[in-house]
Order: sequence, then C-alpha cells, then structure tokens
Amino acid sequence: MEALELYTVDERADLYTEELRLNLGPQHPSTHGVLRVELRMDGEIITGSRCDIGYLHRCAEKIGENVSYLQFTPYTDRMDYLAACNSELAWSLTVEKLLGVEAPERAQWLRVIVCELNRIASHLIAFGTYGIDMGANTPFFYAFRERESIMALLERPSGARMLYNYVRPGGVAHDIDQAWLPDVLAFCDEFERRWAEYNQILTTNKIFIGRTANVGVLPREMALAWGCTGPVLRGSGVKWDLRRDVPYLWPYEEIEFDVPVGEGTHGTLGDCWDRYWVRMREMMESVRIIRQACARVPSGDFMDKNLVRQYKTPLKPGKGEAYMRCENPRGELGFYVVSEGGTSPLRCRARGPSFCNLSVLDALLPGCMIADGVAIIGSLDIVLGEVDR
Amino acid sequence: MNEATLHARLAGSGVAGIGALDTSAKDPFVVVEADTLLAALAFLRDDPQCRMEMLHNVTAVERPEAMEVVYHVCSLTHHHSLTVKVRVPRPEGGTHASWIPEVPSVAGLWAAANWHEREQWDLLGVRFTGHPDLRRILLPQEWIGHPLRKDYVYPTEHGGMPLELDAVPLYERRAGDPAPEPKPPREAGTPLFQPPAPFSTRPEAAGGKTAEPGQGGGEH
Amino acid sequence: MEALTGFFAAHLPVGPTLALSLAYAVCIGSLLGFITVYAMFAIWMERKVAAHMQVRFGPMETGGWHGWAQSVADAVKLLFKEDLIPRDANKVMFWFAPAVVFCGVFAGFVAIPFAVGVQIADVNLGLFFIIAIASVEVVGVIMAGWASNSKYALFGAVREAAQVVSYEVPAAVALLVPVLIVGSLRLGDINGWQEAHGWLVLRNPFVIVAALIYFISSLAGCKRAPFDLPEAESELVSGFHTEYSGMRFSFFFLEEYASMFVSSLLVATLFFGGWTLPFVNVSAMPVPVGIVVLLAKTFFFIFVQMWLRWTLPRLRVDQVMSLGYKYLLPWGFVCVVGTAVFEAMGWRWLPV
Repeated sequence: MEALELYTVDERADLYTEELRLNLGPQHPSTHGVLRVELRMDGEIITGSRCDIGYLHRCAEKIGENVSYLQFTPYTDRMDYLAACNSELAWSLTVEKLLGVEAPERAQWLRVIVCELNRIASHLIAFGTYGIDMGANTPFFYAFRERESIMALLERPSGARMLYNYVRPGGVAHDIDQAWLPDVLAFCDEFERRWAEYNQILTTNKIFIGRTANVGVLPREMALAWGCTGPVLRGSGVKWDLRRDVPYLWPYEEIEFDVPVGEGTHGTLGDCWDRYWVRMREMMESVRIIRQACARVPSGDFMDKNLVRQYKTPLKPGKGEAYMRCENPRGELGFYVVSEGGTSPLRCRARGPSFCNLSVLDALLPGCMIADGVAIIGSLDIVLGEVDR
Repeated sequence: MNEATLHARLAGSGVAGIGALDTSAKDPFVVVEADTLLAALAFLRDDPQCRMEMLHNVTAVERPEAMEVVYHVCSLTHHHSLTVKVRVPRPEGGTHASWIPEVPSVAGLWAAANWHEREQWDLLGVRFTGHPDLRRILLPQEWIGHPLRKDYVYPTEHGGMPLELDAVPLYERRAGDPAPEPKPPREAGTPLFQPPAPFSTRPEAAGGKTAEPGQGGGEH
Repeated sequence: MEALTGFFAAHLPVGPTLALSLAYAVCIGSLLGFITVYAMFAIWMERKVAAHMQVRFGPMETGGWHGWAQSVADAVKLLFKEDLIPRDANKVMFWFAPAVVFCGVFAGFVAIPFAVGVQIADVNLGLFFIIAIASVEVVGVIMAGWASNSKYALFGAVREAAQVVSYEVPAAVALLVPVLIVGSLRLGDINGWQEAHGWLVLRNPFVIVAALIYFISSLAGCKRAPFDLPEAESELVSGFHTEYSGMRFSFFFLEEYASMFVSSLLVATLFFGGWTLPFVNVSAMPVPVGIVVLLAKTFFFIFVQMWLRWTLPRLRVDQVMSLGYKYLLPWGFVCVVGTAVFEAMGWRWLPV
C-alpha cells in the first residue's frame, strides 16, 4: 500500500523541512489493541492520518457460515471481548428472531442484569486505560479492583471470568444461585462509593481536563454521517440510546433510567471529556438499572423449553433474514443473519460499533498533536476484536 | 412509521425502480434498482418524514442467483428503520471467481459507507463505483481473492509460508513414529480442500436430510 | 575535602599531590557508592510508593522483608542483558550519551554540603555551579535521541530539549530568592544563615511561592510526571531511551533518580533549613546528626515527587511550555522583586 505522501513544509535551501511519517504502529501501548495509524506529522502536529486495521481479523464471518447457530455464540464473545454478554445478546436476539421464539421472563431479567454488569466492567476498562493514556497510572488499578468483583460475580452463573458464553439463543445458559442477587446488590453499593473516588482522581483533575477538553471535537452531523453510536454519539449531544428508544429487551421498558448526554461542560460539545463523562455517568445509570432489575427477577425457566430440547440437534431456523441491533457499551452492535434453512447461516454479518466509531478517526486526527491523537483514540474506546472481527 | 408506510412514501417519491416491500423473510425489505439506488437512498436521507440520518450497515450477500447488497438505514428523529437491497444478477453462463459485481457507492451520502463498502469489497469482491478510496481494509493489500465468496480458493502459501495441512497433525504424532512422508507440492490454484458444493446440488435445497454442523470441510 | 587531604598527608607516608589524589579517589568513590546505593533504594521506594497508592503491595518476595533486594536483583539483571545497538545507530554518540547524562548530574553532587564541613568541594559559587553542570544532561539526552535512529526516540529528545531547557529559567529565577536574602551562593553559607535566622520558607510569603516554583521546575527538569513527556510511555513507547537496554538504560535511570535527589536536596537546603532543625542546635551535635536531618528532608521531598508522579496525568507539550513561560516565570520574577522590596523594607515574619 502506498504510504501517505509527505509534503514539504519549508523549501528554503538552508532550512529544508519535510513532514515526518510516523507509525503509531500495531504494537503500541496506547492503541488499545493492534491498530496501526500511519501519521504524517509536521513536528508535533498531525497533518494527515490513515488507519490500517485488520491485524486482529479472525474470519469470524466466514466461520459463522460453517458452524451452527449455537456454536457461533462463543465467537461473538470474542469480538468485543470486554463486553462479551452484550455481544452474545445481540446474536441471541437475532437468532431468536429467525426462530420466532422469545426467551422466558426470568431469562430476560437475568440478561438485563448480566449485560449491565458487563457494561460497567467495560466502561471501567475505558476509564482505567484512558488514565494510562493520559499518564495517570493509578486509576487503572482502582478500576480493576471493581472489575475483579464483577468478574467474580459473573463467574458464578457462567463459569468464566471474561468470555462467558452465557447468553444464548432462547435464554441464558445456567441459572443463578441463591446468593447471587444479594451479592450483586452489595456490589452496587460498593461501586457507588468508588465512583466518587474515580471522579476525585481523574474526572475533576485540571491536568486531565486540560488534556481532554476541546480535543477531538466531533460535531453532531459528523457523528451521524460517520455512523458513530454509543457514548461517542451521546458525547456529541445526541440523546439516542437503543435501550430507551428501540428497546430490544422488554424489561428495559419497565425500568427507569436516564440517558446521559454530553453538554460541553469543560470545553466544546463533543470533545473527549464529554465522551468520557458520558461513560462515567452511564456506569451509574447501569447501577440504577441493576438495582431495579434485581428486585424484579421472577422465578421460572431460564431457557426456552423447546430450544433446550432442540439443542440436542443443531438449530435450523426457517428461510429468512433478520437484523437486530443492541446497545453495547461501545455503541450499537448489529447482527444481520441470512438463513437458507440449514444449520449454518448463509451470511452472518456483524456490524461492530467500534468499526464505525474508528472510521471517524481519519477525519478527527489531522490538526491536533500526537498527544491529542492518543487522547482521541482513547475516547473512542475501541476494541480491535470488534473492529476486525 | 413502520416499514409499509416508509415503503409507500419511497414508492411515491418519484424515484424509479423501487420494488415492492418483500415481507417473506422475517425482516421486510425493499429491492431497488442499482441505477436509482443513489436517488432512492438520498430521498430516504433527506425527506423530512423519513430522515434517515444514519447508515447503520452495508452488507453484501452472495446468493446463488445474484449478489445482493443490503443497506440498513435508520432514523434517530423518527425511531424507524428500513432495509434496502440492490441485486446484481449473475451473468449468463455461470460465473467464476473473477466476477466483480458493480454497485454505485453511497459514500457521498453517508461517510459511514466508506469503511463498510471497503470491507465488502475486501471480503466479497463487490466493486462500489464512485468510492473515494476502494482498497482492502481487513486483509493485506496483496491478498488474492475474496474470502467470503462461496467458491473461494484458499491459498496454498502466504509470504513464503506454506499453508498445507499435515496428514498427521503435530499433536497426534508419537515419539518414535516414522516421519510422515512429504506430500507432493500442490499445484498453484488448486483448493486446499473441497469448497462447499454449489447451491443447486446441496441436499437442503431439494428438502433433503439434515446436513451435519460444520459442513464444508473435506479431507480433515 | 581539604580535611581529608590533610588527614592523608599527616598519617600516610605520601607527598601532598598523592594525598590530594587519594583524597579525590576516596571522595569520588564514596560518592559513586552512595549514589548507586541511593538509586537502588529510591527505585525500591518508588515501586513501594506506587504500589501502595495503587492498592497493591509492590515487591514482596525478593530478599524477604518487603522485597528489599528487588533493586539489587534488577541491577544484576540489567548488567547481564545483551548490549543491543540498532544497526543504523550512530555508535559513538549512542555510547557517549548515557555517560554524558550521568556525568552531568554526578558532577553536581560534588558541591553539595551534607553537613557542616562534609563537602567534597566547597565551591563559593556552589548553587550556580550545581545548576549549570546539571544542565549538561540535556546534551546527553539529545545525543541519545538522535543516535538511536528511531523517530520515537527523536521525538522524546526534541521534547526533552524544549522542556528541560525552558524550565531551567524559572528554576534559576526562583533560586534567586534565597540567594537574595542570604547574600551568598555558597550552600554552606545558606545553611549557616538558616541556622541563625530560621528556615527561609518562614521569612516572607514570596519565599513559599519561590519554593513551589522551584519544586515544580525541578520536576520538569528531572522529567518526572506530570512533565514526563520525553519518556511518555503511552505515546512514545519509551521516548529518548527507547533503543537503550541493559546497563546503558540503567544509566538513564540512575540519572533520573540522581537529579531527583539533587533537586530535593536543593529544596531542602535552600528553603527548608538544610541540616538545621528549628529548636535544636544541630551544628553542635556530631556530624551524622546533620546528615540524617538533611537526608530525612530530602527523602521527604523525593516522596512528594513520587506521590505526584502516581497521582497526576501528563501535560501536553504545549501546555508544559505555556506553564513554564507564562505562569512560572512571571511569578518567579514577582517573587524576586517582592523579596527584594521586603528585604529592603525589613518586613519579615520571623523577628530574627
């Protein structure tokens, strides 16, 4: 691939200057995975950028055409590995739409709790790694302390700490134990106390505000045109959340929660600080959702009975196609599945939110400094597993 | 508005080539002609009743009779969405791996289409005419072939590294076994294993028995 | 050091030149030994401080009690590492750079008084000498960045040049304030003056501001967070010492901790009394008491530097420059002028 062309900055014979080509290469502490951004720089200022992805491409869509519907669930975990339950939920809902079944009530409420816990865990990583990108190494450890509690909680029903394979077409894989819901509520109490600590150490820090306010301003129209969703879109002032506007799980219609939106508190609307603050407040909203959901989990089946019997042989939905989108921590994950009546889909397309959020990077980077570039990449909160699939 | 109303509005917009709303699949969709695709999508984006601000997804699907490109557009102001499809039929006399269907690019309408269309070009070989920068996005630039095609031939080597499968995998060899004899070099272009059979010859198409999960493998 | 020369000349059958050389050798050797041991201790302390601020323990295994031998193990490991030089690197500069950097800081130690009379060279321009010689390390860092033949290293070197050189100005201006009050550049005199008149921070409010300005500027001069752009790990992999490994890298590390020590010691000496204590006559006590007092204050300020590093994020390079030139420097001038006015008028907090 031809590299970006370099432009000459100063042509005088005694002071010839040329732009510098720098690889924010696949191995880099701050690119949140194997992302390569080829930068063209005039000193510290980025004048051109070109994103190069595909280093984590694992052919998930081709695999989806060769394995059965239930066998593909763990692959969806590994796309956005930080928000595994949410990705599984999108896949499960799409398959359920094709099959024409709905998960039982208990499973729906458990799905809500598990997905919101995963949302908190994912935003904690966004918060911690954003601190490291900015040079503050301490908040990361605080975030992981809470994440450890969440992973221990989620290990109990699913058996795994990070890639759960728990939310499946038809419901959830296993039931929870008696003490799980009270433990989740205890975690919520603990988390609210810690959340205040995070704000003290990072959110209100003048240096952090100086690094993130007015940096990477994403105007509303640009965000919509580039297909940005999730906190990236909400940070630009657009109050759009699938859980509230196009609820994909009916419990969300019965739970009260707010949708935090960026307001340009410390700079321009749509800057990095707004996106970061949206994520922080979303963590508290998730706590609110979990508290209400824990109070309402009914008894009953955790998996659709017909599907349990059907799992002995691979699922065969009828001919059709379905597109379901869910609100992941990073944005809207969409699965488009085309079924020809066989045990594997004909086409299994994952529309990753990080893929679309990252595409706006080439438009945001030119004009800022490399330190700002790191801040912008961090504020988009991408996971390369989902970008590359 | 639900899909039916949207479709009615689109059909009454004056753009030619809008098909009927197909509700046979689980999600209803509209088939549009490739020539008027841009006009139809521009109408959907700009009409105040439709206001599809966001292009959510662009997918290409390879079907036995045509290559479909599916656009999912959604509106944030009106909380509705629509699925629009374009079909490029296969040419007469069958196709081979170098068939490149062409579809106009919507990257001028929504910037999001830029990367989506690059991905569909990369994986399925659909050329989007008018795209500002159509090159591979997930695979290396020098890759040959479009992997998600049903007749994709897996390469035998990449960058000098052979991609052969051993007759006896490493994890099943025991100490003291004689070394497996080297397989004769495969001719370039022959498939690694049997690709999936063409659609018309598959049992399910004729309503036959269940195929096993993971079908599509061959020798291993 | 004259005392030591005299000691050797008197007790050993050597001529005056040889006695002088022996004295030099003993002093430099002990200083080198002190710096090395101090650096190992400081690295262990940094890891422990960082760990406890991050709700974890830090080294616990190596050596038994709280991993005290961790630094020793790290030093041995670094000594055994492969000496890598990039193929296209400028070998002479690559080899020289750590030496220049370390010698610049090391030479500053020569003029520091650890207690009454415990000083290698009683330079009468002591303060000026220390600041001047410490700025030699900038050359070494630029050499390191250029010689590495790596764009990341070059970025780190250029940033460091801009930052460290710029922050020497407010540092020097802030250091004018105690010199103005005391009337001498000799560090021993400043210590003695504080013994007679009390700590300099308690003299007038401008001295407190000057102390803060000097402390912040020295953070930038040591390339410590929040000014650690030259080695900004999350942006430039490792900045100017990206391509250095093994013992060469450890020279840069030693230099960082040595300059932390020097700047903390200057803060302690110039503003907070040096080896003196408020109500105790330290110079009448045996010499080790003074050394202990001074080192205690120095280590307190080193702890503050570490505390700041693990709490604060990093400033961007243009913010660093604007902080130095637009805020610290003008306030430094205000302090100098204000102190001059206060001294002339005789206004002070303490009656002495």
